[in-house]
Amino acid sequence: MTAQWHDACATDDVDDEDLITLKLADQVVAIYNTPEGFFATAGMCTHEDESLDGGLVMDGVIECPLHQGRFCVRTGKALSAPAVENLVTYELQVRDGRVWVRV
Amino acid sequence: MITNATTSNIHMDKKQLKALMRRSDRPGLKYLISWVALLVVTGIPVMLSVGTWWFIPAILLYSGCFAVSAYALSHECAHGTAFRTRWLNEAVFWVTSLLYYEEPLHRRYSHASHHTHTWIEGEDNQMPYAPIPLTFAGWVEEILGLGLYWHQTKMFVLHSLGIFSDNVKRVTPESELPRMQRNTQICVAIYVGLAAVSIWAGWMWPVYLIVLPRVLGGPIMNAFILMQHVEMAENQPNIVQSTRSFRTNWFFQFLYFNMNHHIEHHLYPTVPFHALPKLSAKLGDQLPDPDPGFLSTHWEVLKITIRRSLGRNDRSRKIRQAFSDDLTGADHDRSMA
Repeated sequence: MTAQWHDACATDDVDDEDLITLKLADQVVAIYNTPEGFFATAGMCTHEDESLDGGLVMDGVIECPLHQGRFCVRTGKALSAPAVENLVTYELQVRDGRVWVRV
Repeated sequence: MITNATTSNIHMDKKQLKALMRRSDRPGLKYLISWVALLVVTGIPVMLSVGTWWFIPAILLYSGCFAVSAYALSHECAHGTAFRTRWLNEAVFWVTSLLYYEEPLHRRYSHASHHTHTWIEGEDNQMPYAPIPLTFAGWVEEILGLGLYWHQTKMFVLHSLGIFSDNVKRVTPESELPRMQRNTQICVAIYVGLAAVSIWAGWMWPVYLIVLPRVLGGPIMNAFILMQHVEMAENQPNIVQSTRSFRTNWFFQFLYFNMNHHIEHHLYPTVPFHALPKLSAKLGDQLPDPDPGFLSTHWEVLKITIRRSLGRNDRSRKIRQAFSDDLTGADHDRSMA
C-alpha cells in the first residue's frame, strides 16, 4: 500500500519534550515534540512491543516505559539495551498548526 | 503474560507521572558521594582493626553498607535511572555490577525479563533458586546466596567461552551475545588482574574492602532482595499481588535506594529512585499499606518458613501473603534479582 499523508493532530496536542501515540492507517504512530522539532516513529517498542506512550522524551531520545530501551526520535536508531532493533520512522510536516504524518 | 501498571489496574495522571520520571544527575551524585563517604568512614576502622577482635564488628558494619548499596545502585543503573548523563550511569553500572558479581549486559537483560514477567514461573529469570513456597531450608539457601554465587560463576566461565544457555538466549537478542561474551571477558580480566596484582604487590585491601564484604554483606543484601516478592502470588498479571512494599527507616532507605517502594518501582520503572516516595504518595490508596519495617517483615517471613517446614499453619497476620495455591514453585534456571 502506498504511504499517504494523514492529518494526525494539532501541534498543541503534544506537550514540549513529550509524545502522543495514535493509530494511522492501522499503524501505531508516536509523534514527538522536541526542542529540535516534531518527529514521528512507530509507537511500539521493538523489544517487547510495549507502547511508547508512557515513555520519557529527553534530549531527542525516547525511553521505553517498561525496560528503558532508548531510541533516537529523529532516526529511530536503537541506542541502548534491551532495545537493539530500530524504530520505523515516518515523514512529518507541520502546516498551519497541524501535524501531518506520511504513513 | 505481561506484568505492568495496566495489567495491575493502576492509573496515574500522565503529566504527573512524566514529571516524576524526569532525570537529573544531582540526586544520584548526592547518593553516590554519600555512599562512598560512608564506605570511607566505615572502611577505615576495618583496615585499622585487622588482627584484633574489633575487626569483626568493623567488617560486618562495612559489609552491610557495601553489599546492599552495590546491589541497589547496580539495579538503578540497569534501569538507566540513576543519572541523567548516560556515560555516568553506564560507568557506575559497570563498577557496581562488578562489585555485585554480575556482568552488566546479562544483568540488564535478565532484569528486563523480571519486569516483563514479574514472578511468572518459567518466564521471570530472577526468581529464587529454592523451591516456592519457601521452607526454612530454602530461606537459608536464599539468604546465604550460594545458588547465586554458583550461577554467576558459571555465567562468567561459560559466557567468556561464548556458551549461552537456552534461558539466556530466551531473554537476550542473538545480536547481543557477542557483546555479552566480550563484556564477560573484560569482567573476568578485571577480577583476575586485580587478584594477580594484589598477590604480586602483597595488597590485602581488596580482600578486606571488596571480597570479604561482598561475602559477609551478601546475606543482608539477599534479605532485602528476598523481601521484594517472597510469599506473594505467582503467575498472575497484577504487580500489586506479586510484589511487596515495606516501611523502613531512613538509613535502610538510603542503603537500598528507596527500593522498599517496590510495588511502585515495578508499576513505573522509569521513575528514578529519588522520586519513588513521591510516586507512592501520588498513587495513594490504589496501593495496599506497606508491610511493617524491614526487620519485622523479614522476621515474619522467617517464622512462616519455619512453621511451614514443621507442617504447621503458615499464615501470617502481620504481612501481606498470598494463599498457598498461588505459590506454585518452579525449578528452572534462575538468578536472583
